[in-house]
Amino acid sequence: MTTTFRNEPLLELRRASERERLRAALAALDRALPIAVPAIVGGDHRHAAGFPSVDPGRPSRVVAEATAATPAEVDAAVAAAGAAAREWGARPAAERAAALARAAGHLRARRHELAALAVRECAKPWAEADADVCEAIDFLEYYAAEAVRLEAGPALVQLPGERNTLHYRPRGVVAVIAPWNFPLAIATGMTAAGLATGNAVCLKPAEQSPACALALVEALLAAGVPAGAIALLPGEGDVGSALVAHPGVHTVAFTGSGAVGLEILRRAAEPAPGQRHLKRVIAEMGGKNCVVVDADADLDDVVPALLRSAFGFAGQKCSAASRALVHARVAEALTARLVGALDTLLVGQAETFGTDVPPLIEASARERVERYAAGAAQAGATVRRTDPARVPGEGHFVAPTLVLAPARDAAVVRDEIFGPLLTVETVADVEQAAELIAQQAHALTGSLFSRNPRTVASFARRTPVGNLYINRGSTGAMVGRQPFGGNRLSGTGAKAGGPDYLLHFVEPVVVTESTVRHGLAF
Amino acid sequence: MDRVLEHAPPTGGTPQLALDAEIAALGRRLARRGSALRRARRVTHDRAMALAARDPQLRAALFRLVDVAPACAGPVELAEHLSAFLGGVERRAAATAAASRAARAPGARWATGRAATAAVRGMAARFIVGETPADAARTLGGLWERGAAVSIDLLGESTVTPAEGRAYAARCEEALVQLAVDAARWPARPLLEADSAGPLPRVNLSVKVTALTPLVRAEAPARGRADAAELLRPLLRRAREVGAHLHVDMESVDSRELILELVLELLSEPEFAAGPSAGIVLQAYLRDAEETLERVLDWARASGRTPPLTIRLVKGAYWDHEIIEAAQHGWTPPVWTEKADSDRCFERVTRRLLDAWADERLVRPAIASHNLRSIAHAVVYARRRGLAPADLELQVLRGLGDDLQDALAAEGLRGRTYCPVGDLVAGMAYLVRRLLENTSNDSFLASRLGGAELDRLLSAP
Repeated sequence: MTTTFRNEPLLELRRASERERLRAALAALDRALPIAVPAIVGGDHRHAAGFPSVDPGRPSRVVAEATAATPAEVDAAVAAAGAAAREWGARPAAERAAALARAAGHLRARRHELAALAVRECAKPWAEADADVCEAIDFLEYYAAEAVRLEAGPALVQLPGERNTLHYRPRGVVAVIAPWNFPLAIATGMTAAGLATGNAVCLKPAEQSPACALALVEALLAAGVPAGAIALLPGEGDVGSALVAHPGVHTVAFTGSGAVGLEILRRAAEPAPGQRHLKRVIAEMGGKNCVVVDADADLDDVVPALLRSAFGFAGQKCSAASRALVHARVAEALTARLVGALDTLLVGQAETFGTDVPPLIEASARERVERYAAGAAQAGATVRRTDPARVPGEGHFVAPTLVLAPARDAAVVRDEIFGPLLTVETVADVEQAAELIAQQAHALTGSLFSRNPRTVASFARRTPVGNLYINRGSTGAMVGRQPFGGNRLSGTGAKAGGPDYLLHFVEPVVVTESTVRHGLAF
Repeated sequence: MDRVLEHAPPTGGTPQLALDAEIAALGRRLARRGSALRRARRVTHDRAMALAARDPQLRAALFRLVDVAPACAGPVELAEHLSAFLGGVERRAAATAAASRAARAPGARWATGRAATAAVRGMAARFIVGETPADAARTLGGLWERGAAVSIDLLGESTVTPAEGRAYAARCEEALVQLAVDAARWPARPLLEADSAGPLPRVNLSVKVTALTPLVRAEAPARGRADAAELLRPLLRRAREVGAHLHVDMESVDSRELILELVLELLSEPEFAAGPSAGIVLQAYLRDAEETLERVLDWARASGRTPPLTIRLVKGAYWDHEIIEAAQHGWTPPVWTEKADSDRCFERVTRRLLDAWADERLVRPAIASHNLRSIAHAVVYARRRGLAPADLELQVLRGLGDDLQDALAAEGLRGRTYCPVGDLVAGMAYLVRRLLENTSNDSFLASRLGGAELDRLLSAP
């Protein structure tokens, strides 16, 4: 196992031949739809009627027909996982790592097809869909390598007459509750972390993206992960809820909304009858991410970065920018350029190369964004949107929206909206922007545009956010390069794709042995 | 070395050593002429740049200062930035330490800032010939009289909105009209006004596609192409009307396909079959530069358009950008990673261009470089192919190639100087890139080196 990790290269979409290959992969995928997604427990595939996942850009197109996992299947999956974890966890880390690396290879072999699947099932535009596949591969390879490194254990102080060792043990069964917005990457990341460290995993994918999760589980099983060590439990909230409450689950890895995350933390804190361990929750929740623009910023860079961060993938990333705090000296100029640039955004189907703003994942998401936009206008803010004529009718499309000069305490400024809506506020200086950020409940990502190294250093010292970007947009964290995760109400502080992440999936055990016998040290 | 032989003209059989000897002799002559003509007031400036080139940290601080200057509200703010930049310079040279102390002293801030502002503007004035084309008229006329044709490049901030694209197009159109009025008064300069295929327009404007449209996306070239075409078409019409040459610049690889297809498609439209004179750029640092050239030559052969397309051959100014982009995405860089490979590619493409001109009068060659070897190679090869001096254009950059420009004129060669026009402030980003290039050893500054070093510079890459 090599220790130098390299991110999977993105496809060079600037080459026409590469774009052609993706179009062909999508056409082939379309012929195979809908995909039947089974519940997979102990290697057994059970197909039954359940719920569909549909193309958000054309809701009449069914992408997958998923089987809804039953309560009995949840029980069976956790029991099988408990048993499999003992055998899987006893294997050397290198052996587990090799299986994960093989799974990465399976994903790589299908990368065009999987990108097409993310385009269809989640309306991720091509570049983002491809990046999602690459990130999934990265997580498998990165955590595989990290688990091998972790197995050695850290060095302890050693004195004459004793031998101290520290080793990390798997905790047992991990319930992974995954989101749809990075349908492959995040499900893979949490699952790979559990498996790499010797745990067994029960995966509950988002109900919007079961087919992407199926591709992951297929890759893991084909790579030789024991059948009991990985279960696929498609379903809605009830499946996740049953997993969180289950006494056989040791760790819950969750990425999703703040409301659900808090509920999981509450439920997991209460031990079930017969439960002999404390559950650990790794929760990655929302953000209210600010982009601060100082007076000396290069607006030529700020405008494109803001557009990409706020409106790329229709703002449906927890790292997306939703609040711009702009120095008074450049506020007018920047606002004018932003408003003018709204019309450069291509609102369209994810499968169209060049689309900036695809449809939102579902109707309720669209309604939520529209509600905030209407509320902001009612409250007296200026609302500027892309020309409605340029927004397709079918599909859950929302016109990219700028809310100018909202009140500081407006709901549109406070809440995570998770859509293509950016508020723009004027601040007296970076200091005031830092104050406003300090008052926020969320602390996931942030971005600062300033060309003064002293401003940058002082802002970085005091920022509460988990990921701060200087002179670039707030999205696009890469495995191994920008370990990702938020603080405060944004999450439990775990850094996915970073050197500390696996520690959340293990328990340290220290063994101290006396080497003294009859006054002699051996 | 033997590449020269491989690409020797079909009629030739030129002994390669003789070619290299001739190249070296011409290079030394140009260097001597350049030294003799060097303007005294620039010596200090050149020396300062050479000093900066040797201290990478000081160099970084200076570039950052030039870069941020347009966004600073006044001298005090500029001084604060300077102090912050120099604060990052460890183990400073004495001069840097003094500058740092000066920038930090509260009482001296205003004075330091004023001095820095003046320095930045002074530097900018060396590269930028005027704030508007009308402003630039005197300088441009002066250049013409000294024997140098020009190409104008309108500087400005990036285009991020459709309105900014339209404003840029309007500035281009005004420039064409204004320059045509001014140029009509210039005296006759036969060498600059015609080559063997016909007349060469006095007015020559370089345009950037990314300034015309905010819709350039690497993965969706068709959208930006369509948008840019809407603005480029009226410019081509205006250029034809005033008898000007319109040259479309090349930028990073992300827009290369878009620009190439845009220009070739527009020039293929029936209304442009007989004009205006137009051109594109070929970047020799690209690994596929030769394939691209063949594509363009095929187009030229098929189109039969008059006047011939001009190809400006450059090494390329986005090398760092391409390397970083490729590294961050895990791609093979589209550019040569060794400078010598770019230099060799430049010479191969030069010969192919000159062959195509000598044999078929396909595309007009314009060789843009400050590298004495690259220039001398082109001139010597053109002579070998029996081309007259007017049949080879040699381009230099205003501010960096001034001495070279005069040396070329003195040698009886046909030169053109690429002249940025625009607000000194808005032109800063452009300037920084020029400065970066200047401090590399590919510059004509290096020709001030003596004997052995000059010989090395002039030897085959």
